[in-house]
Amino acid sequence: MPFESEAQRVLDTATRLGAEYADVRFGQTRDEHIEVRNGVVASLSDGESAGFSVRALCSGAWGFASSAKVDDAELDRVAGLAVTIARASAKIKSQPITLVPSPAHVGSYKTPFEVDPATVSLGDRVALLLAAEKEVRAAKGVTVARAWMDIWRTKKYFANSEGAKIDQELLQCGSAIHALAVGESDVQDRCFPGTGGLYQTGGYEIIRKADLLGQARRIGEEAVALLTAAQCPSDTADIVLSGDQVSLQIHESIGHALELDRVLGWEANFSGTSFATLDKLGTFRYGSEKVNVVIDMTCPLALATHGYDDEGVKATPVDLIRDGVLVGYMAGRDTANTAKVALSGCVRAEYWGRLPMIRIGNVNLEPGSVPAENIFDDIKNGIYMESNRSWSIDDKRLNFQFGCQIGYEIKDGKRGKLLKNPTYAGMTPTFWRSCDAIGDAASWVAWGTPNCGKGEPLQTARSCQGASPARFRNIQVGVGYER
Amino acid sequence: MSDKDFADQQALQQVLERALTASQADETEALIAASDASLTRYTHNAAHESVNERNCQLSVRAVVGKRIGVAGTNRLDDAGIVEVARRAYESAKLSTEDADFPGLPGPHEGLVEVPGAYDEATAAATPDMRVQAVADVAKVMRLSNLYAAGYVSTQSDAFAIANSKGVRRFHRSTDSAINIKAIGSDSSGYAEGFSRRFAGLEPVKLAERAAKKAVASRTPRALEPGAYTVILEPAAFREFLGYLSWIGFGAQSFEQGSSFMSGHLGEKIIGDNVTLRDDYAHPLGCGIPFDFEGVPRKAVSLIERGVAKDVVYDSYYAAKLHHVNTGHALPAPNSDGPMPLNIVVDPGGTAVEQMIKDVTHGVLVTRTWYIRLVDQKQTMITGMTRDGLFLIERGKLTKGLKNMRFNESIIGALGRCELASQLVRSESHVLPAVKIEGFHFSSGTEF
Repeated sequence: MPFESEAQRVLDTATRLGAEYADVRFGQTRDEHIEVRNGVVASLSDGESAGFSVRALCSGAWGFASSAKVDDAELDRVAGLAVTIARASAKIKSQPITLVPSPAHVGSYKTPFEVDPATVSLGDRVALLLAAEKEVRAAKGVTVARAWMDIWRTKKYFANSEGAKIDQELLQCGSAIHALAVGESDVQDRCFPGTGGLYQTGGYEIIRKADLLGQARRIGEEAVALLTAAQCPSDTADIVLSGDQVSLQIHESIGHALELDRVLGWEANFSGTSFATLDKLGTFRYGSEKVNVVIDMTCPLALATHGYDDEGVKATPVDLIRDGVLVGYMAGRDTANTAKVALSGCVRAEYWGRLPMIRIGNVNLEPGSVPAENIFDDIKNGIYMESNRSWSIDDKRLNFQFGCQIGYEIKDGKRGKLLKNPTYAGMTPTFWRSCDAIGDAASWVAWGTPNCGKGEPLQTARSCQGASPARFRNIQVGVGYER
Repeated sequence: MSDKDFADQQALQQVLERALTASQADETEALIAASDASLTRYTHNAAHESVNERNCQLSVRAVVGKRIGVAGTNRLDDAGIVEVARRAYESAKLSTEDADFPGLPGPHEGLVEVPGAYDEATAAATPDMRVQAVADVAKVMRLSNLYAAGYVSTQSDAFAIANSKGVRRFHRSTDSAINIKAIGSDSSGYAEGFSRRFAGLEPVKLAERAAKKAVASRTPRALEPGAYTVILEPAAFREFLGYLSWIGFGAQSFEQGSSFMSGHLGEKIIGDNVTLRDDYAHPLGCGIPFDFEGVPRKAVSLIERGVAKDVVYDSYYAAKLHHVNTGHALPAPNSDGPMPLNIVVDPGGTAVEQMIKDVTHGVLVTRTWYIRLVDQKQTMITGMTRDGLFLIERGKLTKGLKNMRFNESIIGALGRCELASQLVRSESHVLPAVKIEGFHFSSGTEF
């Protein structure tokens, strides 16, 4: 395995200096981004970064250090600095950190894919985006049309002082089109697929199946039509959310709420804590009996799928909500003991230089039984909302307000007139308990979120919340536009 | 580079020169950002996540005709530099012509350095020094049966740019920060400090402020949604200004018509007591004297006594819209256009203590959270309060309140506001507290 000897040197140094446990990650990332804007390539970038990091546990406290340079002197310096930081932190620790046992895996993982993006010329990739963007702009009234794609490759090697040695190669791809229409007193936008694109693990086939070109004209026309559409009423209504909007709802009101480090107060100053406290585990009714949520880092196509996490834990599906009841958390080796929950392999760092932490992985809402074409059934007066425009939730993940890009009236089970600025708000448990229909497996998509923020210093992570469209009863809508 | 050379001006400039000579492009720009950043994060009065990261990233922008490609790497040996220059060039060749691209900017006169931007002691701060600051905070907390969560950070940065038209820039700086969230059984309080010098952070004084808020807001009561007179402390007000920068103070949104400034230059858009400018050189701030194209930053008056004055420009939009380049480019590639990074709000004439005394019935907001744009043109945002929400009755903070959600137009709010007299730094902006009449809270939460 690459870096095996360098990793051993780091681990030997850290343990010789007194670390009770140490791990090391060598990483290399390559990020390609193309964006076209109104007929011009606005961004064509190809970035790479490489380096290593060391995490050391001394006297029950963590220390972490990283560097872009890999030579013997730097390996020793960084290993020593991680130990020094840990020793400093140990002077004011509260409870000593203890790690739950995890097998010392020796293995490898590689993202399965059909089409290696490297086999598609840069010229062909640019041409696809230009064609799709041109078609968005063909809708009369579009002010700014954009199309973009991302290809992210990550190679990493993990080893720890317990004997783990893991080599991984991850491939993630995504793409989108976007239309902005500017009116005299209004700005409307539409994106496709979903809120900000379709991002998944896999190869260039992810970008091809997004059908940017096929949907471009519609997206442009919808953005323009929204400028003159009726305002979403401010009322209480039954609503149906598109699968990509349900995905974000899961992310904000289930995913973050069930990160065990948040529950324990480790994120208190920044992204907050959680209303889903440990005393609720096993008994708390989080949602209706139709709501089943699992973290599954093995899920095919899902954006966070890998073989092992950044502390060497093998990806394993773990229930979070079963029949509407809270039954699990996302946990790491240093937190799992507090809740006696299973490890799912969800501890990740943004890149080689950052501290691994519990991140929303693939937090999937299991599909229900309702065919998508029947999900408006039983709604006499309601609103359908699609694709997120704004999202906000309090720092315990209770009070939320979301806005969507586009809405439609639902009248007697049928889609009615176009509505602009649809928003809805509520409290997390009340909202999920009002869910009475979830779309079937045919309408389920592994929606990726490429920009989840957490931690100090801030780290961005790529997560997935697989979801189908879903129906919710008696929801406050039109929030923010009442006056 | 050797360890000794990390962030050394001569070593970084050698990397840039090598990138320029390696490039086959018609024009080339090389930008390097080196950082040695440490952060000690704490909760429950104890350090739980403490890190150091050292990295040096080179970015090359290649121009072929009017085609542009960008590539980046942190492999800074000769082969790595040559390879990144090649990748940028190959990308540029496959890009499209941008007829509006004016070429890379040449050298500009008028750069004014920031005195005291680099502090040797901050660059050399140790894990023990940061942990001691946490210990000082924890000691204050224990006196009130509280615990604290937050971070203490120190960092040293170097930033250098060179291009094939003769631009050569280098800037070195330090920065430090402390965040303190004081936590009780049913309340919390917050204080923050930012300084280029670690010695300037004042952790004890800030801890006492955060603890006082946590104690005073114990047993919070619910507030009915509605319109209230509010005082936003600087940490809360800062997030409003950050949104204005993003959605409206740059030439790109101005040109495409989505900015609240579009079509309104010269018009009074907010109260005549409000003056906003971008000024990298404010003595309380943390700005750098040139932008990511190496162009000297200018102080730009954005709103002057309530009148929309100007937005900020980079070389692309300056040429396209026939305006002076104000030196506000972001790193290439940049799909957001130029943006102000160092907003300064002119202070008002009333001390915040007096401002509170002047409120008969209102609310004081210490900090906001998760602000998101609801309506761009109307500058309508939503967000939550956190870490110290207080009822003001007859000029005094009388009760802690459970947190509230707000839906408010930023421009609308600035049309009915009064600014406090004390300026502080919050993140990269310099601003006072602000009193806003008729601020709209739409719902509450359980804590």
